[in-house]
Amino acid sequence: MATNRSGAAQRPNGAPQTKVCQFKLVLLGESAVGKSSLVLRFVKGQFHEYQESTIGAAFLTQTVCLDDTTVKFEIWDTAGQERYHSLAPMYYRGAQAAIVVYDITNQDTFGRAKNWVKELQRQASPSIVIALAGNKSDLAAKRMVEFEEAQAYADENGLLFMETSAKTAMNVNDIFLAIANKLPKSEGAGAAGAGGARRLADGEQPRPSSCCK
Amino acid sequence: MDEEYDAIVLGTGLKECILSGMLSVSGKKVLHIDRNKYYGGESASITPLEELFAKFNAPAPDETYGRGRDWNVDLIPKFLMANGLLVKLLIHTGVTRYLEFKSIEGSYVYKGGKISKVPVDQKEALASDLMGMFEKRRFRNFLIYVQDFQEEDAKTWKDFDPSTANMQSLYDKFGLDRNTQDFTGHALALYLDDGYLQQPAIQTIRRIKLYSDSLAKYGKSPYLYPMYGLGELPQGFARLSAIYGGTYMLDKPIDEIVLSEDGKVVGVRSGNEVAKCKQVYCDPSYVPERVHKKGQVIRCICLLDHPIANTKDALSTQIIIPQKQVGRHFDIYVSVVSYTHQVAAKGWFIAMVSTTVETNDPESEIKPGLDLLGPIRQKFISISDYYEPIDLGSQSQIFISESYDATTHFETTCLDVLKIYKRGTGEDFDFSKVKVELGEEDQ
Repeated sequence: MATNRSGAAQRPNGAPQTKVCQFKLVLLGESAVGKSSLVLRFVKGQFHEYQESTIGAAFLTQTVCLDDTTVKFEIWDTAGQERYHSLAPMYYRGAQAAIVVYDITNQDTFGRAKNWVKELQRQASPSIVIALAGNKSDLAAKRMVEFEEAQAYADENGLLFMETSAKTAMNVNDIFLAIANKLPKSEGAGAAGAGGARRLADGEQPRPSSCCK
Repeated sequence: MDEEYDAIVLGTGLKECILSGMLSVSGKKVLHIDRNKYYGGESASITPLEELFAKFNAPAPDETYGRGRDWNVDLIPKFLMANGLLVKLLIHTGVTRYLEFKSIEGSYVYKGGKISKVPVDQKEALASDLMGMFEKRRFRNFLIYVQDFQEEDAKTWKDFDPSTANMQSLYDKFGLDRNTQDFTGHALALYLDDGYLQQPAIQTIRRIKLYSDSLAKYGKSPYLYPMYGLGELPQGFARLSAIYGGTYMLDKPIDEIVLSEDGKVVGVRSGNEVAKCKQVYCDPSYVPERVHKKGQVIRCICLLDHPIANTKDALSTQIIIPQKQVGRHFDIYVSVVSYTHQVAAKGWFIAMVSTTVETNDPESEIKPGLDLLGPIRQKFISISDYYEPIDLGSQSQIFISESYDATTHFETTCLDVLKIYKRGTGEDFDFSKVKVELGEEDQ
């Protein structure tokens, strides 16, 4: 169970001028495949066996430090709006990365995952980095989706692919790390918003974007 | 759908989405339904451009309009006051995290057939051609009075009781002429007509303060506009509602609002399914028999491939044509946004001319606004009825929002929402119910 947490949430010790890139990452997938659990594991290192559907984990951030860059993920959970196909276009808007999740013990969720990939190809930016996560790998005894089948599908569609377990933490950090590595980190990459746009805040100042928190 | 809810909200216009968010945050179990397959109802931004042309039965746009998907065209033009109610709601609820804004570059007012910039500081005021020299001095004294005015400190009222004396008498106290009154009441206090002159001056003083506080926030103008169009606002509040447990169904026709024998709502029927509820919140289109028509608003969407003349090529502006300048009862508004807000393809501008209808020929009523725009590539006119509910909903427990009015900003929108929330729940909305930790904001 000891998993490699390197990469997640570390300070760049002493490195004075690490480049910071911020990216919007959205989660997609059928209800109850473990989307929120994956995020909760990644961001807080926690797992709840009976996670309520629709929790407040709707906007979390987590940083991943690569060699010369700090990647800050702004993670959007569906907040249950996927259930009746009522996800708003705002959800996909400006997303630079997506994790499409299915449950390896449920073939239907894999079929749905393929539809979400299609939806992303239609709605999201053409350069979006998509990862496919076969979650609940701790339940391999009840497996209904073969690893090879999913791998082949991912290869055909240019997706990153891993089987994960939010429960044991297997591959959870790794899949985010793999996404971080694949994202373009050119100058200005991940700068939230187009030129001059701002977020509103009580304290007035637009959010700072130049240090690893 | 076959469950029991505290409240069912019908329609995903901005007002309904804010209400839905507030109800969910307050711990109510909410089901939110829209008959359309998209969010926003009347306050949606239409995309792609082909969809807008089809909506108005126009032949498809040619290739000069660029990619259709780059367009998000509002049906109802409004801006946010930077220090106004909607911004407060956005910040307190955390919805602001989903959105990005740009300041509107300038605000203009129409006088004697041409437009002048509404001055934003002393320097601009001195250079402004809106007033003569002596008038400028009187106007400056008036502004200082308003700035120093504190409602709780009668000393700052300077022997004038603003809660009883009307606005006309305050203008007279400072000797402001007709033109300055026009520009103050319509371009700063943002009144639609001249009814305010006979109302207690305090109302106008508050509005001018809102204007200057908003201006102080970001400098260029008191107005903000969201990237990708106003349609993002309802989506943001819908997300808030969903995060707090609200259930969303789009593309779901509503066939009946089910009442008990004593006329109280007990559920909503769609086909064979009935969702039970204690209350319904909705826009007028879901309950035509429970609203009456109060008036009409004309709105004309104009697609332009150039900025507006005499605005220093601004990528966004507001122009107010005070009613008296063109012999009308209500003001005409022109709002301009463009590709810089990701609502149009590169190089394109969207101007909207709107006013409250007062004749049988509404199209000619907006002509003074259209004349300011220069060549118009495409024009879409809509004339919408303005509805208000026939009762307050206390018996039926059906709470109905008013249609969107002709004002240029969201203040009346938010006031309607807060009133409806109070009617429905019996209390004012408590912002402290929004848990900060929910957002996990990292700073």
